[in-house]
Amino acid sequence: MPVWFELAVTMLAAYGAGIAIGWGLWGRKGADTRRDDTRG
Amino acid sequence: MTQLLQTYWPALAIALALGLVMAWYLFTATRRTRVAGTVRDVLDEGAAPAERNRALIDSAPAATRDPAPAAPAQSGGDDLTRIKGLGPRIAALLGELGVTRLADVAAWDEAAIERVDARLGRFRGRIRRDDWVGQAKLLTSGDEAGFADRYGRLD
Repeated sequence: MPVWFELAVTMLAAYGAGIAIGWGLWGRKGADTRRDDTRG
Repeated sequence: MTQLLQTYWPALAIALALGLVMAWYLFTATRRTRVAGTVRDVLDEGAAPAERNRALIDSAPAATRDPAPAAPAQSGGDDLTRIKGLGPRIAALLGELGVTRLADVAAWDEAAIERVDARLGRFRGRIRRDDWVGQAKLLTSGDEAGFADRYGRLD
């Protein structure tokens, strides 16, 4: 396996891990605190 | 693999940071609905405003639409609606023309009938159709039996 391919896959994995961490930090929280716009 | 990580860890860290930035952008920065303050309800202001609103709702309306004008609108007048075919609206109309008593109607001649009939608008023709003059004559004479025979029972 060429080194550039390994590097590309690893970087993609790191990128995906970053998105997953971000989703855990901000994505789920938003779903819990969704505002009820039907009131008021 | 470990050699790769050791060599290129800054690039991997940048990729991870890029993923984090992208996630923040997706999940936070582009969110359209923002929680900005709290929605205030009328009950948050205490009981007084709510009671005031309740009192306003329960109070009588400031203006009411008048019901159909009462038949004997003028003092001293007769109840013209005793004449069959003459309702409260026509009675009010006749009141405006100065006709408030059954005797007035009973005394109408052809000219008076024409004059009043011309003022009745969409009720035009009722004076002769329902024979108001004949009815009024019987009512003023107190001949209720004769009235009932000819025009039906008084309500």
